[in-house]
This record gives sequence, structure tokens and C-alpha cells, in this order.
Amino acid sequence: MLQAPDREDQPLMYVTTTKNAPEPSVATKLQIERLSVFYGSFQAIRDASLEVPENCVMSLIGPSGCGKSTFIRAVNRMHDLSPDVRVEGKVLLDGANIYAPGVDPVTIRHRIGMVFQRPNPFPKTVFENVVYGPRIHGIGNRKKLMEIAERSLRHAALWDEVKDRLDKSALDLSGGQQQRMCIARVLAVEPEVILMDEPASALDPIATSKIEDLIGELQRFYTVVIVTHSMQQAARISDYTAFFLMGELIEIGTTTEVFTKPKDKRTEDYITGRYG
Amino acid sequence: MNNLTQRARMQPVLGVGTGIAAFASAAIVFLILIFLLVFAWPAIRFNGSGILTGVIWNIGNQYGSSTVTHNGVTAQAGASFGGLVFVFGTIATSALAMVIAVPLSFLVAVALVYRVPRKLQPLANTLVELMAGVPSVVYGLWGIVVLVPWVGNQLGPFAQAHLSWVPLVRGETGSGNGLLAAGIILALMVLPIMVATLRDVILAQPPTIFEASMALGSTTWQAVTRAVFPSVRKGFLAAVLVALGRALGETMAVLMVCGAAINQFPSNIFQAVNTIAAVIVSQLDSALTDASGMAQRSLAELALVLFLITLVVNVVARLTLRGADRSAQ
Repeated sequence: MLQAPDREDQPLMYVTTTKNAPEPSVATKLQIERLSVFYGSFQAIRDASLEVPENCVMSLIGPSGCGKSTFIRAVNRMHDLSPDVRVEGKVLLDGANIYAPGVDPVTIRHRIGMVFQRPNPFPKTVFENVVYGPRIHGIGNRKKLMEIAERSLRHAALWDEVKDRLDKSALDLSGGQQQRMCIARVLAVEPEVILMDEPASALDPIATSKIEDLIGELQRFYTVVIVTHSMQQAARISDYTAFFLMGELIEIGTTTEVFTKPKDKRTEDYITGRYG
Repeated sequence: MNNLTQRARMQPVLGVGTGIAAFASAAIVFLILIFLLVFAWPAIRFNGSGILTGVIWNIGNQYGSSTVTHNGVTAQAGASFGGLVFVFGTIATSALAMVIAVPLSFLVAVALVYRVPRKLQPLANTLVELMAGVPSVVYGLWGIVVLVPWVGNQLGPFAQAHLSWVPLVRGETGSGNGLLAAGIILALMVLPIMVATLRDVILAQPPTIFEASMALGSTTWQAVTRAVFPSVRKGFLAAVLVALGRALGETMAVLMVCGAAINQFPSNIFQAVNTIAAVIVSQLDSALTDASGMAQRSLAELALVLFLITLVVNVVARLTLRGADRSAQ
């Protein structure tokens, strides 16, 4: 893979690594309509609307503090956990608003999984971590749980590394392994959408590339929305890219479009490195 | 320059001062132990193992001059200082208090951390801390005026009518003064320390554990009990033990509602009991009339027993808390 040197006079440096966007998919998995998020009186997201087609990877990019993590956490109602956060607008999952009255956020989070910035294993064994979701959803049969654990860990490309230490503490795994285990833990609940909040930002380059390969694999079965601060990463792994700035969705398009022919001056400034 | 030398001169003063202060707290505990041992020594010789196994508490005949001598020490004739009733009462009231306070404090702490809006949290925390500041005798007064009549007139008859199949509940329910009232009062009194400790242990956990569980589609309850609790288990145990240490030694409120039983065991949770701390207060008056002085010394021996029980509980609590801190790192 070619890596363009990181220089300002090469505005379109990511072109070489951008993967070709697929034909626009028929089904829209997620449709976000006029989403606003408030922390008290501070508005962190302003009227953002976008659509995520099924079985694709969408990257959310933008400088620190632009609201991309805030945005992604609104998509599986994680903000419900913070009493001081208010969300306005709609998030439609297969056409149904997850913020409609009477919708249980617990079932929403079952359908929309989330991987966090830092690996967050439970202080339990690898096995218990991976089957945590299935267990709380009522599966108690040990054999069934073992099948789920193996399938999820294989799917997360971690099985071969941990198959002999399933009953060891997950805290003893390396950071990269922990993060893949956390992905396996999400896969074990068989969600439809996986949200990732800078999943590789705490990892070294090798672990990062493993996570990126994994995301490419996951796309066949899941819809993935990933927040990243690395434009190279966005370019490598995503079909679509959305650019946020100061709580506003500035531009969204196929990754190729956004990186080669940005429509907005601010997007161009950002991808050419003028915002840092 | 002058200032500097003055400060340099202060340095050893400060060092010695803090050293004495640090040493003093350990020394005081040790001196109390010595005092109890010395003062209770004649009683330890007179009573033998009876202080832990005997059921009858009787300071003996104070009107005759007849005395009884045992192991070289003398008491009034007929004297018997059996403390089993009080040791049992101490453990039973504290155990009952724990049965009530453990689940309650867990729920309150979880509610404080995860359910109370952030703006109201300082207020809620203050309320819990205020609970800890209410004087013991006020709890006792509330117990006499409100709790005991409720147990005696409402709960007791209800239990007799509907719960007579439950062991430890069936039987005479009495006035309301007794084990249950004492247990409830103690539970309320230790609740703040348990809630505060448990809240701090939960808050010391990385919030990511809770989030991780919620993001996997768990309910708040599942997240707390299955993901957060396993990592705070030790801290929680330590909180329970610290609270237990307090409950064991609590005196006034318990004395006011426990029924101050002597020479009898309760046959259910409604009947009168007595604790070591309460009996020392309630029997002190008559003990001071004991011409041989053995009654006072036997009360001191009971105090020694209580001291040792709480010491052990507190040491175990400290060790557990230290273990919890280490495993949290």
C-alpha cells in the first residue's frame, strides 16, 4: 500500500489508499434526522442528518472536540446513561425511530453494539467476557455459550491466540488482544450495527492494522460506523466518510469523493491538514 | 536568615510532634486493653469460662455478709456472672442489622451513583451524611416513640396472624421492645457508613465497566450486579465489616429499644434481648452496690470481650479494604 508523505502541498494525499466505494446499497440501515445533542445548555451536535446504508463502513472524522463521539453515542442511546445530556431529533433503525416513546434502550443496544476507545474488558475470564452478552440475554447452556464464544472469537480473529487461555483473566491479554476481545464480545450478541469510537487509538500500529483488517471482514455481515481521528484509517477502511466540525456535519459522501473532491472548503482544509 | 533558622528549628519539633500523635493512637488502644485486663483480672479468675457460657447474671446477696471465694477471689454469696445472653444478643442484633442494612445500603448506593441526577447528587450525599450525624439517643427516642409501638401493635400481631409458619417469627411478640426493634435501629445507624463506603468503591471503578455492560444491552440492574459488583465485592465486604464493628458496640439506641433482657434468650425476633454494651450501662448502677466489687469487674470483663470482638472485626475489615485497594490497582 502506498503512503503519501505527510505534506501540506499534497492536498489529496489519501487518494492512493482510498478503497473504491461500492455501488450505493439499496437498503438504508440507519437514518439520522436532524440530530442535536445538548450537554446542559451547550449544544455539542447541531441538526446533523445522515444515512448509513446496510453492510458498509462509514467513518466519522473531524478534529478533537468536533462532536463525533457525541454523535455516535446518540446512535445507541448511550446518552441515556448521563442524566445531564439531552438528545433531539430522530435515529431510524430500519425505519423505526429508536427515540420514539416506548422504545426500550436496552433492546436498541442489543441491536446496535458499541466498541469503545479504550479496551474495557470486565475483570473476568476471556470466556466470561465474550459470553457476557448472551448470558444477560438468557442463554445459560454451557455448550451453547462455548459455541458462541468460539464463533465470536474466530470472527474477531482472536481465537487462535486465546483458545488455550479462555479461563484466564482478560486483563492479562495485550491491549490489542483486549480490544479484539471486546469486539468479539459485541459480536456475541449478534447486533445489526456496530459502532466504534476510535477503537484503535490506544493501540500500537500492528494491533491497529489487525483491527482494521477485522473491520473489513465485519462489513460483510454488519453495518459499521467508526469514529476515527486518523484520516488514513478512514480512507483505508470506509466506504463513506462524514466530516464533523464544531458539532456540525459539514460534508458526507463516499470516501473517495470526500477525500478527492470535497465540496466544502472546510473539509478540504481539514483533510489537507490545515486544522491539525 | 533569622526566619530560616527559626524554621529549621521547628523541623524536629514537627517531626517529634507528629510522631507522638501517630504513636498515641496506637498507645491509647493498647492502654485501654491493659486497663480492661488489669481491672477485670479478678473477674476473669472468678468467672473462668462462665463469662462466655453462663446464662445467669446475679450480683449475689448484698444483705448478708456471706461471701463465696473461687480461685482466690471473693464475691457475694450466690453471685453468678454469666454473659452468654449478652454475647448472643450482641451478635444477634448486629447480624439482624446486617441482614437489613446490606441489601438496603447496596440499593441506596446504586441509586446514588446511577439514578440520582448529577445536580441532586450533592444534596443526596449530604442527606446520607447527615444521617450519620444524628445522635444515637435521637435514634433511640424515635425507636421508643415510633418504632417499638409499630412493631408491638402492628407488625407483631400481623406476624402472629399470617407468618406463624416462619421459624424465628412465630410465638409471643410482646411489646415491641426486642431483637427486631434493635436490629432495625442498628441498621439505620450503620446505613450511612455502608452507603458512603460502597458509593466510594463503586465510584473508584472505571466507569467503562458499567458502560461496557450497558452497551451490550444489559439493564442497569444487570450491569451493577454482574459487571460492577464483582469488582467491588471486596470493598463492599470491608464496608459491611466496618459497619458491623460499629453495630456491635452501639449502646444507647439499642438499650432504649432492646427490652434489656436478663437471664433469658429470645425465642423469636420480637422478644427482648440485651447486648454487652447495653447491659454494661443498664447494670452499672446495681453493680456499684456490690460490696465485693466483683459485679463491676465482671462488667469490665464483658467490656473486654466486646473490645476483642470489635477489634477482630475491625482488623479483618482493614485487611479486606487493603486487599480491595490492591486488587483495584
